[in-house]
Amino acid sequence: MSIARLDQARADFRAALAAAGRDPEALERVRVAFAGQRSGLLRDLAAALRELPPEEKRDYGRALNELKAEIEEALAAARGAVVDATTGAVTVTGLKATVRAPVDVTLPGRRPPRGAEHPVQLVRRRVESIFLRMGYDVEDGPEVEDDWHNFEALNIPPDHPARDDQDTFYLPGGMLLRTHTSPVQARVMERRQPPIRIIVPGRVYRRDSDLRHSPMFHQVEGLLVDEGITFGHLKATLETFLRALFSEEVAVRLRPGYFPFTEPSAEVDISCIFCGQAGCGVCSRSGWIEILGAGMVDPRVFEAVGIDPERYTGFAFGLGLDRVAMLVHGIPDLRQMFEGDQRLTRQFA
Amino acid sequence: MKFDLGWLCELIDRAPDPDTVAERLTACGFLVELRERAADGEVWEIEVTTNRPDAMSHRGLARELAVATGAALRPLTVELTEDAEPAAAVAAVEVAEPKLCSRYVARVVRGVAAVASPGWLQQRLERCGVRPINAAVDVTNYVLLALGQPLHAFDLALLSGRRIVVRRAAPGERLTTLDGEARELDPTMLVIADAERAVALAGIMGGADSEISPGTSDLLIESAHFDPLTVRRAARRLGMHTEASHRFERGCDPEMAATACDVAAAMIATLCGGRVCQGRIDVDARPRTPRTMTFSVAGLARFAGLDIAGADVLRILDGLGFAPRADGDRVVVTAPSHRVDIDRVADLYEEVIRHVGYGAVPARMPVLATSPGHRHPNWELVDRSRDAAVAVGLAEVMTFAFIDPEDDALAGALPLPGGPPLPIANPLARTQSVMRRSLLPGLLAGARGNLNRGERALAIFEHGRVFAAGDDGAPVERERLALALAGLRDGAGVSFAALKGVVEELSDRIGLPQVEWRRGGAPWLDEAEGAVLAVGDAVIGLAGLLAAGPAARWELRQPVYAAELDLGAATGHKPPVRFQPVPRFPSVVADMTVEHPTSLPFAALVGTVRELATGLVETVELQARFSGGALPEDRVRTTLRLVYRHPERSLTQDEVNAAQAELKARLAARHEVSFA
Repeated sequence: MSIARLDQARADFRAALAAAGRDPEALERVRVAFAGQRSGLLRDLAAALRELPPEEKRDYGRALNELKAEIEEALAAARGAVVDATTGAVTVTGLKATVRAPVDVTLPGRRPPRGAEHPVQLVRRRVESIFLRMGYDVEDGPEVEDDWHNFEALNIPPDHPARDDQDTFYLPGGMLLRTHTSPVQARVMERRQPPIRIIVPGRVYRRDSDLRHSPMFHQVEGLLVDEGITFGHLKATLETFLRALFSEEVAVRLRPGYFPFTEPSAEVDISCIFCGQAGCGVCSRSGWIEILGAGMVDPRVFEAVGIDPERYTGFAFGLGLDRVAMLVHGIPDLRQMFEGDQRLTRQFA
Repeated sequence: MKFDLGWLCELIDRAPDPDTVAERLTACGFLVELRERAADGEVWEIEVTTNRPDAMSHRGLARELAVATGAALRPLTVELTEDAEPAAAVAAVEVAEPKLCSRYVARVVRGVAAVASPGWLQQRLERCGVRPINAAVDVTNYVLLALGQPLHAFDLALLSGRRIVVRRAAPGERLTTLDGEARELDPTMLVIADAERAVALAGIMGGADSEISPGTSDLLIESAHFDPLTVRRAARRLGMHTEASHRFERGCDPEMAATACDVAAAMIATLCGGRVCQGRIDVDARPRTPRTMTFSVAGLARFAGLDIAGADVLRILDGLGFAPRADGDRVVVTAPSHRVDIDRVADLYEEVIRHVGYGAVPARMPVLATSPGHRHPNWELVDRSRDAAVAVGLAEVMTFAFIDPEDDALAGALPLPGGPPLPIANPLARTQSVMRRSLLPGLLAGARGNLNRGERALAIFEHGRVFAAGDDGAPVERERLALALAGLRDGAGVSFAALKGVVEELSDRIGLPQVEWRRGGAPWLDEAEGAVLAVGDAVIGLAGLLAAGPAARWELRQPVYAAELDLGAATGHKPPVRFQPVPRFPSVVADMTVEHPTSLPFAALVGTVRELATGLVETVELQARFSGGALPEDRVRTTLRLVYRHPERSLTQDEVNAAQAELKARLAARHEVSFA
């Protein structure tokens, strides 16, 4: 029955084509009736294929394809166009009606869905890639820490005033949420002897919440321990890193600071990347942006983790990844980054 | 801390211009954070780090400024005229806890008048953020700002027995402090008492009962040195933080106690017209252990990576009060009493390097053995899964790792090793008081925010750790990946199939072993559209439509499909691909429409087909699925597409037809199926 329907359609088409002659408008009406995209007969016939029992489908499908080819070819020929049988290319010979309307190439394309990574993770990967190229390992450690690794091994005994600067979330059993990525330093040094060359990215927690503080944020820690490591090495390494991260033009300034686990300690500033040190809101008109903390590993830390401070020296540094992401991308509120808004992330696709 | 620039500069013999002062102070470790103009001067906010209590005064900072600018610190002179009456005859001091109060210096000034401070003194106090009260009290505050020694003035007439006793507080002892708060004390706290009762919290705040008043005639000035830990613990326990406790906690100069007391007595006598009694009462129980250290200039130069002249080392250390002595290449120093932070050679290195200037140290890259950097396997894993999620079109969000306990209860959790959630002892809010056991609560809150803002296509994921108390009480941390879809995806509404496609794509890319999808779920999953993801016996994930309960809780008014995967089972890397020879002969495609009970899951049907079919079947895929219409409710029609291929020759249609017929016969013998 169904093949018969195709034969009927063929006969109807031939009759209509003959009636239309060479009149472009009449030909167009025939085209719409038989080969139109929306309601042409071919479309209905193709739809019927789905209802057929499987064993009939093959023959029907083959016959349908033959009919389709005949109709398209005949229409094209009637309008003075010739279809090349092997390539399918259509040549029009002097009639004003075109075969197909040109596409509007300015219409949007249909894109596959695109994902996006959080800006903080993008910054982390850039930092990792810079240090991996310098031969540093990327380490990892727990976010739930004990007091020893988070504080004591880092020369911050109980009741030390430095604990005020790192307001801590406490958990049962004397555990806490790590306030910095530095405990991983201690863990790695307990595990192996120098030379040690690592960075440790990760999530950290402090009991603090305002425009520039979030109770959860991200840091990356760096540590290099070997014989003969100097303060000048620290300086050069940080300059190399910060220039690779921000721009080769950036000036780096170290000034004395205080961290219990480094001696001497340094606060590290970069020249303001927004105003070129002319003075702007971001740098509070100082021309400098505080970007990381660093220093030479305090001998007490070496003693705590079982490394000989007479033989080895080393440096360590810590950087806020969220802060870099805010700076580089101009995100004004740190907390905004942790609200789950996909509009924020998709800007970084 | 606030500093009056004029005051600071008058303490050294020649001060450079303010810009240079700011630059030099910043370079040697005292960041000038803010400069404010004041009448004929400037008020500066300067950061003094917690290890430098000695610089928390104008004189202390001026010492640094002198070294940093090559100037000299003016000597501190006290012009004090004493009365014939000995202080010891008027008042007595007893220190019952010499370990906690290693020095207690007192002076008595008699016959003072209640006057206001002169304008210059009031101005200095106000510039440093201290409110003027009366001349006697103002002097104690002034000396604190000038010399860094916290002082307290008692009305001597109000001290019972004219006695000072430094002792531990009695259990439950009460004291009303100067701020008007009645405080209950305990024996861990040190108090200043008179013959009867506590009159001050040692090193923190005075008591209201012995306060200076307009009627005060005789004063006792306290200038003491208290144990930093004792002060710190008491201040914390009482929730107090004062100028005095800030300095005592960090460590004051016990040597300064005597000088500061003299300065204050002299000033009070001048301003208030009193007589200073003869002599200091000085109960001094300090251990005398000089902190002497020796280092070599060459060792310092090696450590810094800087050529440095011995003369510069000596100049810097001398200016800072270390009394250095050169002995060839070696330098012997004794830490001055005001530098409580110094007891090792490393500390001395820092002193020299920061005054030479960090800027002067040449930057040289270290020469290290070349070796490629390795990433911890966990980072490989999380980034692989992150890449996979991004590749399937999801946007990453990050939410807090602490959540509302009620959300934890409602969301349920994947089975974890261990059990109950970890509570935070001191949360910022109740809604952030337990560590998440699932990423879903945070993710769903994020989904709600996005949908409320009118998002028509929500596709988000979060990657992070979940936490629980382990079996032995030790905390457990696991890496998870969760995702949520709602609204449109690729032009169509999201469905279970869309969710499953995303999760399948993810688990493939992450390198999860063969994941089995089973019907079932969790409290947060819809009963009809929920699945458990398993690897062998281990449940590694859940996926499906969010159930009505959680949807209401998170105010999600449209269907949200979500999944959570535990990455513990993932390896983070795929084994190297084994090349399969590319087929040289064509395949033959054959469809087969099977009508079967709905109780026979697709996976089981395909499993049976694979088991029963000839080895020439290469793939079995879903082609179409039909239910309803004329079919009974418990029946479904599934069209499978089988691809046949022989490795060594072309198959004929007849061979394939025969194989299909035989397969149908075998299937019919196994399951309750029919063929259209």
